[in-house]
Amino acid sequence: MSNSPLKALALVAATALAFASSSALAETTINIAGWGAKSGPLRSFGVNSEAVMKAAVARVNEMGGIKLKNGSKAKLAFDYHDSACNAEQAIAVARKVASESNALVGIGPTCSGAAAAMFGVFQKKVGDSGDTGLQFPILTDTAVRNGLAKISQWTFRNTPNEPDMYDKLWAWVAKNHPNLKTIYGGTETDQGHSNGTYSKVIVQAATRHGFKWSKGNIEGLTGKLASGFKNVLSSSSNWLQADTNFSVQARAFRRSGADIFIISSHPFTTCGMLKELKRQRATPKLIIGLTSSSSAEVMKGCAAEAEGMIIPTSFAPITPAAQEVAALANKNGGDADLHSAAAWENVMIIKQVMETVGVTGDPSMVQKERRMIRDGLESLKSTNGLIGKVTRVQDEGEALKPYVFVQAKAGNWVVVHDPR
Amino acid sequence: MEYYLGISQTIGVHTLLGLSAYVLLLTGQLSLAQVGFFAIGSYVSGILTVIFGWHVLPALFVGALVAGVFAFLVGFPALRVKGLMLVVATIAFSEIVRLVFFNLNWRVEVNGLEVGPDSTQGFREIRYFAANGWEQAHVVLLIWLIVILVMVMLWWLDKVRAGAVLRAVGEDELAAQSSGINLTMVKVAAMTGGGVIAGIAGGLYAHSTTYVDHHTFSILLATFAVSYPILGGLKNVLGTLMAVIFIQGFIIEGLRFMGDYRNILFGLLIIVAMNFRPQGLVDGNFTSDVRKLLRMKQNGAGADA
Repeated sequence: MSNSPLKALALVAATALAFASSSALAETTINIAGWGAKSGPLRSFGVNSEAVMKAAVARVNEMGGIKLKNGSKAKLAFDYHDSACNAEQAIAVARKVASESNALVGIGPTCSGAAAAMFGVFQKKVGDSGDTGLQFPILTDTAVRNGLAKISQWTFRNTPNEPDMYDKLWAWVAKNHPNLKTIYGGTETDQGHSNGTYSKVIVQAATRHGFKWSKGNIEGLTGKLASGFKNVLSSSSNWLQADTNFSVQARAFRRSGADIFIISSHPFTTCGMLKELKRQRATPKLIIGLTSSSSAEVMKGCAAEAEGMIIPTSFAPITPAAQEVAALANKNGGDADLHSAAAWENVMIIKQVMETVGVTGDPSMVQKERRMIRDGLESLKSTNGLIGKVTRVQDEGEALKPYVFVQAKAGNWVVVHDPR
Repeated sequence: MEYYLGISQTIGVHTLLGLSAYVLLLTGQLSLAQVGFFAIGSYVSGILTVIFGWHVLPALFVGALVAGVFAFLVGFPALRVKGLMLVVATIAFSEIVRLVFFNLNWRVEVNGLEVGPDSTQGFREIRYFAANGWEQAHVVLLIWLIVILVMVMLWWLDKVRAGAVLRAVGEDELAAQSSGINLTMVKVAAMTGGGVIAGIAGGLYAHSTTYVDHHTFSILLATFAVSYPILGGLKNVLGTLMAVIFIQGFIIEGLRFMGDYRNILFGLLIIVAMNFRPQGLVDGNFTSDVRKLLRMKQNGAGADA
């Protein structure tokens, strides 16, 4: 019996291990899914969203996880898929997540075109037994084109409201730069978001606040949203998303002699246009950009040429929480901008909704709990965003986010006006 | 299951697109116009179901017919040139079609909702299948019935004189013309047939993805359309199907986790395939090997008996 203490020790160790492994097995996990462009020309959007989502999920777990209906806590887990800014791939991922996983909710996709297609395969009206569309809640972080969430009652967005942002921006410009009177601009016409926001929102908002088109009146253009949008486009000097030469457009900008240039495009062609404007020594008194260009890509690609450009954005590191998210995104290999920062807010919104509706973590309840989460998302009146309170537009699934106006200064986006 | 049914929809639609290029490749013509016909089929059938409230089947039929008419009209001038000039001419056609839809704004209020093509904002709400209670399985069944029908027709075509005529033109135009074959008629017929098939594919694509815009009909899709039959081989229609399964099912879907590396792999595989199987995956050797194998099995079974 000389080895009995060893036997006892082994028994204790085995029992402890058994307990440990059984408790590990019993640990409940709540799954969510994210997807966006992680390949192709817009891959930085997906990389940024994934980096922020990873940080947000880690933060939820550090706080103890998701409180379940029975009062216990569950870990939050996520998978991030590449949908490559492609309609077929975004739909395939949505179907995969909805039918092959226990994910209770999805965050994505990146591109508005992919979102428009993907949202279309979802059930339009909740509870419509004649509609065989997917029944899975989505809370989008990036796809920003106007009115997308209306496509299905299962789809929600936490993206900025551009008509409101640009209205306030032009009011601010009119007040703070009273000597500036004329505008001229252009957009990447084959990009739905850039084009739609420019021709239906930005130019109309400028008109509403008394700014004049530098080359004479545009027929049909009033301060009303989308008024004369076709004539706005034909009067402007535009380019395409894949363009690499902007000499003709920049010349038209320079010759317009406008006080303010409007460049409504994503970072890649914004930088091309800004560089060409500088090369041609075009000297506007102010440049206004598209929300999506208030990102690190512009600062990395053309900080010197962007100097002075003003953009309204729903994210800037101006609060401790926003600063922390920006730092965490960098740590995870991405950047926090107005699109990706929404992924953080979305994870926190989802946590809040899950705890409010009382999810169980029981795989057999997945479909029922997806519906509960959808209803929970719809019933939200407001949520806490990184730079302030976000108001939910309940019947449309959209958000009214707080925003600030940032200006490119010495390689950084600096807040020049904070209307919150 | 929904996921796999969705993938089979994609494979079905792309197989039709590949077969539309296959028909023309039989006559030795490399056309990038298929994506233009695909776009016409998408928009026409989408407009018919969304704005005019048609049933999807006649809408698909009319979409295919209109695409076929355009293919017929384009065929005469386009097929006066060949080789690289034909590639350029057909790219130009596809770009014209894409730009027409890029600018097409036809918004109509239907049941309190504004629908229809909205130029750069695309054409949303092509939701006939889901809105009318079609389950995924029904859509898959429809798509694959059409795929099988087209494949059987093309298979049969290969067994009759018309198929021999197509291949004769593809092998040697001069010899074919010397034997009395009307080259223009054969090429235009192939272009028209390919246009009809691409039109159906486009209609099915629009209704299964619910949304189309000008980005959908890019030169990349046109390249895919001709890549399928070239990679799969022109020996028979199965090659195109195998290539689509390989590209859409394995490379794009199966290797999703590889991100951008999928595109590199796709390029590498094309280079490897062109070097090791220049006649395509399903070439003459492949089919004769399969036949030999089947014969050996039959003989073996006979010996056992």
